[in-house]
Amino acid sequence: MSIAHPFVYEKPATVGQALKLLSRHGPRARVLAGGTDLIGLMVDGAERPDVVVDIKGIKGLKDIRREKSATVLGSLATFTDVLESSLIRRKLPVMAEMAGWVASRGVRNRGTLVGNICSAVPCCDTGPILLAYRAQILVKGPRGARRVPIDKWFTGPRTTVLKPRELVIGIRIPDPGRHAGCFVKMRRYRGEDLAQASVTVLLMPGKEWRVAFGSVAPKPIQGKRIERLLKGRSLDAGLMDKVVDLTAKEIAPITDIRSTREYRAHMIRVMMRRALEGAVSRKAGKGPPYGSELI
Amino acid sequence: MSDLKVIGKPVPRIDGEERVVGAAQYVDDLDFGPNLLHAEIVESPHAHAEILSIDTREAERVPGVVKVVTAKDFPYTFGLYMQDRYIFAKDRVRFVGEQVAAVIARDPATAKRAAERVKVRYRKRPFVLDLKEALSDDAPLVHPDLGHYARCPWFFPRAGTNIAHWRKTRRGDIRKGFAQADFILEDTYTVPRYAHCAIETHAIVSLYDHSGRLTLWSSSQSPFTQRNVFANALAPLGLSHQDIRVISPNVGGGFGGKAGVSMEIMGAVLGLAVKGHPVKLRCTRGQEFYNTYQRQGVLARIKLGATKDGRMTAIDHKLHWDAGAYVEYGANVVNAAGLSATGPYPIPNIRIDSICTYTNLPPGGPYRGFGYSEFLFGLESHVDRLAEMMGMDPVKFRRINAIQEGDTLAYGGKMNPSGLREAIDRTAREIKWGKKTRPSGPNKVTGKGFATFWKAPAMPPNAASSAFLKFNEDGSLNVLISGMDIGQGLLTVMAQVASEVLTVPVERIRVETPDTDRNAYEWQTVGSHVTWGCGNAVKMAAEEARDKIFTTVHRAHGLKKEDLYLENEEVRCRTRKNFRLPLRDFVINGIMLPNGQFRGGPILASGMFMPEFTSALSDPETSQGGKPNVHYTVGAAAVDIEIDRDTGKVDVLKVVLAVDVGRAINPDLIRGQVVGGVVQGLATALYEDIRYDKNGKLLNANFTDYKIPTAMDTPKEIVPIILEVPQPDGPYGARGVGEHTMIPCAPIVANAIYNALGLRLKSMPLTAEKICLAMNGIDYDEVKGETMGLCFMGDPDTYEFSTGKTR
Repeated sequence: MSIAHPFVYEKPATVGQALKLLSRHGPRARVLAGGTDLIGLMVDGAERPDVVVDIKGIKGLKDIRREKSATVLGSLATFTDVLESSLIRRKLPVMAEMAGWVASRGVRNRGTLVGNICSAVPCCDTGPILLAYRAQILVKGPRGARRVPIDKWFTGPRTTVLKPRELVIGIRIPDPGRHAGCFVKMRRYRGEDLAQASVTVLLMPGKEWRVAFGSVAPKPIQGKRIERLLKGRSLDAGLMDKVVDLTAKEIAPITDIRSTREYRAHMIRVMMRRALEGAVSRKAGKGPPYGSELI
Repeated sequence: MSDLKVIGKPVPRIDGEERVVGAAQYVDDLDFGPNLLHAEIVESPHAHAEILSIDTREAERVPGVVKVVTAKDFPYTFGLYMQDRYIFAKDRVRFVGEQVAAVIARDPATAKRAAERVKVRYRKRPFVLDLKEALSDDAPLVHPDLGHYARCPWFFPRAGTNIAHWRKTRRGDIRKGFAQADFILEDTYTVPRYAHCAIETHAIVSLYDHSGRLTLWSSSQSPFTQRNVFANALAPLGLSHQDIRVISPNVGGGFGGKAGVSMEIMGAVLGLAVKGHPVKLRCTRGQEFYNTYQRQGVLARIKLGATKDGRMTAIDHKLHWDAGAYVEYGANVVNAAGLSATGPYPIPNIRIDSICTYTNLPPGGPYRGFGYSEFLFGLESHVDRLAEMMGMDPVKFRRINAIQEGDTLAYGGKMNPSGLREAIDRTAREIKWGKKTRPSGPNKVTGKGFATFWKAPAMPPNAASSAFLKFNEDGSLNVLISGMDIGQGLLTVMAQVASEVLTVPVERIRVETPDTDRNAYEWQTVGSHVTWGCGNAVKMAAEEARDKIFTTVHRAHGLKKEDLYLENEEVRCRTRKNFRLPLRDFVINGIMLPNGQFRGGPILASGMFMPEFTSALSDPETSQGGKPNVHYTVGAAAVDIEIDRDTGKVDVLKVVLAVDVGRAINPDLIRGQVVGGVVQGLATALYEDIRYDKNGKLLNANFTDYKIPTAMDTPKEIVPIILEVPQPDGPYGARGVGEHTMIPCAPIVANAIYNALGLRLKSMPLTAEKICLAMNGIDYDEVKGETMGLCFMGDPDTYEFSTGKTR
């Protein structure tokens, strides 16, 4: 309950100040946003930073805004912010669907999407959806700014390409055009749960499909083979079966206390089928409303 | 009894508002000022090891540390029914997470930091997690000194084995009984461990002051029993009962987990270690899982026979319990089940073996249902299957065998009045038994399941309740009891009982949480017995107060006591219509006579209740000859579920639960019990899934991976049916109901799954995963990996237990 490890708490007011602090303390510092991951780890003693840099005092980082032909989410945007943003609902409806399935209301009010991809657990819900939306991560560091494509972001369980002295400023999602899709999350019950597996399917303009998975590999993964198979084609029963069978080649589920490998593999097939059907019907404007339970 | 004014009415909870608005204070909310010290526990990382040495020097050097306490300081044993525990592990540890030392410091972070610096050297010993291994002839002994432990007389440990207690119940001749049967079914069922998951974790603050008095603020269901256990354990220090005071503020959920004494014993001695300073010990969520109590796991082998016309003729029920490292409370769960594992059926030929086995897992103990949830899963699944084998409707089969008043119980006593048949009939009607609900989609299938249930309080035969009652100047009342409000609404119900006798409205009666110095004795708030036991005591106290009131009036006014009665807070007289004397006029200051003198004085009264018809003495080989149980509460329950064939997910459409409460003193509170119990019971059936690794470490001591239902996971509809066949010795006919509402939930779901899919799951929990894999021909046990929830790794059907040899 208490944090045994002593640490210095800093609350910079600008990105510049934050970068300075991170630069000074390097790997001994950790960035604090919502804290829904970091604080728990510090209580458990799994994270013992000497300096905690709380970025919640930095103005502007909470915004969700338009920028040229893209949507940018600041690194303090919470899941609730995403869920309640009319901009997101309009432009990136599957993103809002994902946000609604994250944890509980209390955690959604606090936890940020950027925090979710920085903690980078294999079961994170934000990873797969950003993969499907081909997002870019906006990073600032001592050597200036850089944009990391999301498929280059995750390097393994709890690891990313982010360097110790860097700070994520936000996420940039290029406009996908008129599209529809589904985020389907396997949970042990209706209450808050970490995904035992998740399937994201987007049906883009020009019959381009995007597919991503969570919790079935060491990091969120893109269903590249399935995307290639589906590209330019309309879904029929035969193609659906092929896609479902192909899931086995895309994923590498394991057995842990949340689920057996066998159930995960089975559920991915069920979820893939329902997500494909859902995407098609939503694209046609008649599917189940975003946020409905598909499994 | 239609003239009752308050009993039977849905009076709102007297403590409802403060709880709902968050104003109610719990132990952790109480302010003890800046001198409050904080404690952190040093835990065993091993399931079984010798303690070679404990070096506390480095921890003691951490600035802010006040003291480090180990078994050296307090080398005493404790326990409720069997003294098999040390306050801090002495010489050996027996489960992962057991307390070895505690650090007391000025603030929690310092205590935690210093606890990491306590160096304990262990020599690992072979451990037993598996029930079969624990019972094998060459098993490592969890308690080599078992034969020397002090224990209550109705426990039968076997020294030189891991068997802590073996309850045998024998009646009739089971060989003959099975010979009479036309159908016999034998199978094995397993139920894993469960955790209570009270939202408030255990917390205790301890203050040993300079007058030599030890005061404890304890989140507890059992303040008096805690005081008794503390006093017995600490007697070597010269402390006696009068020196120890236990105050229990509001409790944020008990469910049995806050009965008896678990972590609180540490709290008690930590106070003694730092005289003059209050010390707080509060469980983390993880500790709440592994170092309070858990519900014990059980492997049940049932053989049940019946004639073709549906009469059960014989039952052979073997219950193997994984009781964990200490059984000071848990052995009584085993005992209770061993006396009642026939279910609510008067089967003439009975053999029950309920065997309590030590393992190197966290201690088992009391949990809502006290053994009955555990054995009813197997038994009520089995009853359904035997009915199917016979070609008989399972509800009809149950109805034929349903126990009735006067029937002989397994231990030879007679059944109390009960409405089991009516419960069965009304439940069947309400759930529309025999009619399938139309599934909501093409992938969906529906099914219904049914079960009966029963349960008796499991208490010492002389478990007592008492009450004080005091009038105030304005005629309002304080009732001082030590029954605990653990959510069930006891305080309100006791106010109703006092109100009924004395006509003082409930809102003018204060009943508050206990303080052993001020309030009257109560054994424990467990076993669904306080409305019954404490209710009798309050009623007696109220009647005594009424008698004193009439005596005062008689002495002042010369009216005959038998002509007096109370109405609307006034004394009235049957023979003098105009006589009206408001209570407020005299209950403290008496009644003035014409000469200016007064008669009477403060009206206060006490009541006590102890069952005088029970006895725990019986033949240990048969359990015949005693009367261990005060009464059984019975009922029936049914469920309608929908299953997604693709995912195995279960949607609970409707639950019906009928229970014979004798008398519903407050029907709303009983409905609350039904809803709460059903949700908790369904959680054990569908979601909660405890896991240990192969070294005995609990893997999901958190809500991330141990799932209790949220509001979104509750059934669409729960229909409580309250039946009232009065209990002659209960207050206004009431009997216990608190635990009963959860115990049929697992078998109704198992039976409904079978009804929907033709799939019989014999091992709890009945998760979507297990259902789905079974539908796809995969045996969950073969793919579940190396974690275990049940206390065995192999196929339970193949388990044979050696219980013969002793060393």
